[in-house]
Amino acid sequence: MSNRSFALLRPAPSVLPGWGFTMGLTLTWLSLIILIPLAGVFVRSAGLGWDAFWTLAADPRTIAALKLSFGTALIAAGVNVVFGFLAAWVLVRYDFPGKRLFDAAIDLPFALPTAVAGLAFTALYAPNGWIGSLLVPLGIKVAYTPLGIVVALIFIGLPFVVRSVQPVLADFDKELEEASATLGASRLQTVARVILPTLLPSLLTGFALAFARGVGEYGSIIFIAGNIPYVSEIAPLLIVIRLEEFNYAGATAIAAIMLVISFALLLLINLLQAWNHRRTGIQA
Amino acid sequence: MSSDPLALDTSRIPSRPSPEPRPFFRTPVSETPLVKAALIATGLAFIVLMIFLPLAAVFFEAFRRGVEPFFASLVEPDALSAVRLTLLVAAISVPANLVFGLVASWAIAKFEFKGKSFLVTLIDLPFSVSPVIAGLVYILLFGSYGFVGPWLIANGYQIVFAVPGIVLATIFVTFPFVARQLIPLMEQQGKGDEEAALSLGASGLQTFFRVTLPNIKWALLYGVLLCNARAMGEFGAVSVVSGHIRGKTNTMPLHVEILYNEYNFVAAFAVASLLAFLALVTLVLKSVLEWRYGGELAASGRH
Amino acid sequence: MPRAGGTNATRADERHRPSPVRIDVEELGKSYGSFAALDNVSLTVKPGELLALLGPSGSGKTTLLRAIAGLTATEEGTIRFDGEDATVLSLRERRVGFVFQQYALFRHMTVFDNVAFGLRVRPREERPRAGEIARRVRRLLELVQLGGLEKRFPSQISGGQRQRVALARALAIEPRVLLLDEPFGALDAKVRKELRSWLRELHTETGLTTVFVTHDQEEALELADRVVIMRAGRVEQIGTPSEIYDEPATPFVCEFLGGVARFEVTAKEGEADVLGSLFPVEGDGDYHGPALAYVRAHEIEIVARERAEGVPAVIRAVRPFGPTVTVELSIEGRASRIEAEVPRELYSGGELGIGQGVFIRATSARIYAAN
Repeated sequence: MSNRSFALLRPAPSVLPGWGFTMGLTLTWLSLIILIPLAGVFVRSAGLGWDAFWTLAADPRTIAALKLSFGTALIAAGVNVVFGFLAAWVLVRYDFPGKRLFDAAIDLPFALPTAVAGLAFTALYAPNGWIGSLLVPLGIKVAYTPLGIVVALIFIGLPFVVRSVQPVLADFDKELEEASATLGASRLQTVARVILPTLLPSLLTGFALAFARGVGEYGSIIFIAGNIPYVSEIAPLLIVIRLEEFNYAGATAIAAIMLVISFALLLLINLLQAWNHRRTGIQA
Repeated sequence: MSSDPLALDTSRIPSRPSPEPRPFFRTPVSETPLVKAALIATGLAFIVLMIFLPLAAVFFEAFRRGVEPFFASLVEPDALSAVRLTLLVAAISVPANLVFGLVASWAIAKFEFKGKSFLVTLIDLPFSVSPVIAGLVYILLFGSYGFVGPWLIANGYQIVFAVPGIVLATIFVTFPFVARQLIPLMEQQGKGDEEAALSLGASGLQTFFRVTLPNIKWALLYGVLLCNARAMGEFGAVSVVSGHIRGKTNTMPLHVEILYNEYNFVAAFAVASLLAFLALVTLVLKSVLEWRYGGELAASGRH
Repeated sequence: MPRAGGTNATRADERHRPSPVRIDVEELGKSYGSFAALDNVSLTVKPGELLALLGPSGSGKTTLLRAIAGLTATEEGTIRFDGEDATVLSLRERRVGFVFQQYALFRHMTVFDNVAFGLRVRPREERPRAGEIARRVRRLLELVQLGGLEKRFPSQISGGQRQRVALARALAIEPRVLLLDEPFGALDAKVRKELRSWLRELHTETGLTTVFVTHDQEEALELADRVVIMRAGRVEQIGTPSEIYDEPATPFVCEFLGGVARFEVTAKEGEADVLGSLFPVEGDGDYHGPALAYVRAHEIEIVARERAEGVPAVIRAVRPFGPTVTVELSIEGRASRIEAEVPRELYSGGELGIGQGVFIRATSARIYAAN
């Protein structure tokens, strides 16, 4: 590349061929498939004008849907941090029969189509389902309520947390635990003050991935949620509904808000990780 | 030589039954057996509840009325056309992402340039975008009220609510799978092998096919496997752009939804169980790759 | 090195410094399957002593150290601190200051928090107040000459500094004994030398019974009051550095200390011929049969002309570095070369040409019966 204006994309000298071709194709393909289409959302939103956009965004049904999507994703990611850590701990630290099976099963949510997951959870948690029928006498309703959404999102997000924590836990230096023990710490103190803080960056990564995925999740939720406006109607579903009403402006506004909030959160988490890495050298 | 003073004199190691460790000694870096058992029980119960039970439910519901209705709902024409479309979409989008993944990871991993991590972030972007939005963006572009849609439709090109839209949306959501599997691995492997091949007179393409590709083949397969699973199972993005035309633009996951909404539960679960079976095959292949070629799959960590 | 802080701290401590602990290791055994990591090990660490555990890798020295600390379970024998059975104590009750080879500092904590850790995890009723903890941590950091680095993270300080943080952290719990695993193993040569003398001083100041593990014989002999040489899970010899050096108990000790030439000889009536001179077999005045003889490089003398004793040799290489000159020699009937350390004058006198024929003799040799 001789053009000076492309300094940003000029590589350090290298004998390997193909820079121009591969980088050119990468940028073209990336722009055509991802960047330009995504930019369309913001162009459309900008085209609405501030007032019109604000009216759409402030629609109570939109706000309820956004709150529900972000709220349930937050709760589910939180649950996954706790149980994902526990699952990773058990899979890394202990030996028991069937360990490999359980380990492999963690990835099922990556491989199982979301619609199938949604169907399965609905069958399980419906009032006449295997689990739902047990919960009815206790007065707990899962299917067709926000609780059902949380359950589906726990499923979707579990592997993100487990797979983020697992390798870090496996590489964890046992001597740190021994040092803590010789200094007089109880086992619980060692876990809380030495192990958990070291795993925090990877837990945060898992949390962020599970959360981002949960906010946008659609397929597994629409079956179990019941989709009642203001109660159990998630933001992605509202986008679909607006599209079916040919209300493209409404759909675009919701999408723009979701994208902005998601990207802002991911940026925040990345900055947090970078700050922690600079300080302590601990990599997520 | 018996007189070597550094040689181990085994005759002096007394033979005695290997005694158990002292009962009161617990290594300071483990939990008490009781705590351990409780943790294992809780962890596994959680996995059973969240993973195994839903999977079991799918197959149970699919065979609730027996084997016959199960197969009947799979060979029915709409179901067959959904299977065909799903295979077609995967057959286009997976190779597209395979090529892109190879090209992008070559550019990113084998060269040093400014803005590299930003570019990787952009490639990862689809992971943090709702699939519904992935569908929406193509409607905004190619729909009848879209940026270029009216012109395309006027000239006879139907993108959304047709197969091209479904393929595009699928490529969008599976975009990062292959690339993000390859980039860290290729960065870790460095470019020494390639430089050696070039210095021995190999051409660029020869270097790629004979040196680079063999080094990353298992990771590539791994990425393709995950990419394929997502491509066949994608629901949200495809649902938005498909138009749900039975027998024409319905993929298997969409077909499941339609059957379910028609209260045809056995058929819905039958098609769903087919998808679940596909997921299980994916998991098995993935586990085999991990157990056999663990070291060659990823530079650090998994997914 | 600034010493004022350290001395003050010591004086303040002197009043309630408990008397140092004596460690008795009695018939300790530990095996991994058929491999005996520790085989009937008994030794005593005297109160206030600086003891080195020296041996090649796999000799059991680190296992022994970890057993004393309570980090590794043993199957047989006991460890007593001042007569009290320590094997039944929890790590908290044992109060052992342990410094790990790679320091094992908590990366997410500042230097201050690392040192304060042992105080903060004490049960509530024994835990000092925050102000008292801060005071003690500062004093310790001054003792290890790291005042001012409290707020740094381990990744932001040098290897030598990390070493000292690890030491301060171990000292913070007011340990009964101090155990160090290869304390200088992870440092480069220059820092090692500096820290070596500093550790010696620190030991004098704290007065703690201290055991350290090393595979470096120079480090052990220079630093320790007494040295334990281990091999294959057993104690090979215990003694002061001069005892170990002057009277190595076994062929293994001789070879491990290094710088020796080994000769396979045949002894008659408790004596054997080494390079033309007769020397007695250790501990057996009437021994007949095969024996191993060891001669240190400086115990080999080069003479220009044949005398009553000595054998012919050829000079193969000369290494004229340091206070003495090392000469590599070959003699007939022996594959490996023999090294001799000779005075510089001999070299400057121009008498050591490569390829030149000379005569060599041993001024001293240690001979061990081979069976």
